[in-house]
Amino acid sequence: MARKLRIRVDHDVCVGNAMCETIASKVFRLNENRQSEAVDPAGDTVEKILEAAENCPVSAIFVEDAETGEQLFP
Amino acid sequence: MATALHDDMFTSDVIANPYAYYGRLRDEDPVHWNDTYALWVITRHDDVTWMTRHNELFSSAVFRNDPKPAYPAIDESDLGLYEYVRNYQADQFIQHDRPEHLDMRKIVHGYFTPKAMESWRPFVVSAIKELLDAAEEKGSMDVMRDLATPLPVLVIAQMMGVPAEDRPYVRELAEKLLYIGRGEYDRMPILTDGMKGMIDYVSPLVDERIVKPGDDFISVLASGEKKGVFSRHQVLVNTSLLLLAGHETTINLICNGTLSFIQHPDQWALYKQDPVGRAKWATEECLRYDAPVKSIQRLASQDIEVRGKVMEKNDRIRWFISSANRDPNVFAEPDKFDISRQPNPHVAFGNGVHHCLGATLARVEGQEVFKALAERFPNIRLESEELDYQPSITFRSLKSLPVTWQ
Repeated sequence: MARKLRIRVDHDVCVGNAMCETIASKVFRLNENRQSEAVDPAGDTVEKILEAAENCPVSAIFVEDAETGEQLFP
Repeated sequence: MATALHDDMFTSDVIANPYAYYGRLRDEDPVHWNDTYALWVITRHDDVTWMTRHNELFSSAVFRNDPKPAYPAIDESDLGLYEYVRNYQADQFIQHDRPEHLDMRKIVHGYFTPKAMESWRPFVVSAIKELLDAAEEKGSMDVMRDLATPLPVLVIAQMMGVPAEDRPYVRELAEKLLYIGRGEYDRMPILTDGMKGMIDYVSPLVDERIVKPGDDFISVLASGEKKGVFSRHQVLVNTSLLLLAGHETTINLICNGTLSFIQHPDQWALYKQDPVGRAKWATEECLRYDAPVKSIQRLASQDIEVRGKVMEKNDRIRWFISSANRDPNVFAEPDKFDISRQPNPHVAFGNGVHHCLGATLARVEGQEVFKALAERFPNIRLESEELDYQPSITFRSLKSLPVTWQ
């Protein structure tokens, strides 16, 4: 069974660069303030989600395993 | 009675102290029509943030699509050169809108992730050590000439695989390219000289990387040609752009930040108590307080109303980072240099899809410079109280910054 993730986007930091939305468009969506929201943590593979987090230019995305709490990114 | 504000943004008073001029605009007329240069001047933080995040309304294709002549005015006999400048600038990836901008940004974005840039920190540290060793022997230095200029050129040249001995020549060309943000009547020949020189300089490097790609950044750009995203001219122009963008802004961060510390001895004392622990937020405050880039231009993509003013399609818009970063609606005591400020939502790197590609690298370089200065030259002070800035509307660039520490 696929790993369940908990994804947080820090809105004090997010600049709306939207690269996360480009990489994993079902997971990340810009809100009306043009900042990223994690709308569906199961919307793509773990690899794609981690790639999106790594490509955030301001490191605003935090990913952890929802069940174990293990931090996967950063 | 308060005097009316003049509209000439290139006068010596505005160049010397942009904060007073744009601060007054922010208070009195935050969406201001500048009649002299026929453009909108945007000065509030919330407006700048909103506009930078609505890239579909404000076009970055400024040089391709601006229907108005160059400003300030240029020599009429230089109109042909201005066409060259427009065609050159228009091929920069930052001068594009989506969808092309996204295709181009995807080529280069992955090279500059925070994680990838962190891996350059040891190189940055050793480059700073080498430069400061040389300065220490002399007992004084011009921060601009001896540290701020060579450091980022060294780093970007290493990333691009450019021979170290070419650095002075690259800097010479870059200085000509910086005339893009200036107002001199006869600036076009200097500017086009720099652009042609850059194209000639990077051409053989690109030719080589197309045939034999390496792990350097020119190879990354060259891969964009193979993928059909960049034309050859675009590869050349963007190689030049990154050579330039990668260092002018960092020079300003280092010089303006060092000056801010020297001019605020209480903050310098606080910083020296824990340079490693304080480097991150102190660097953010340097970026906010005296930002390397003062303003950025766009064109209205359609008619649009902002704060009751109607911008028409293709109107020029300039938003002022230096004013947004001092907006009292966002920053408590905005004119105070406070290295403990947290969070610090400054807009020094812009926002939205055009957020500065090299932001993390600039941060790494700034943090390591301020750490090294605190550790090695804790008594750093100005050699002269006279400070002179380049007459640019785009960059906040000191001409020199002579210091001593003895």
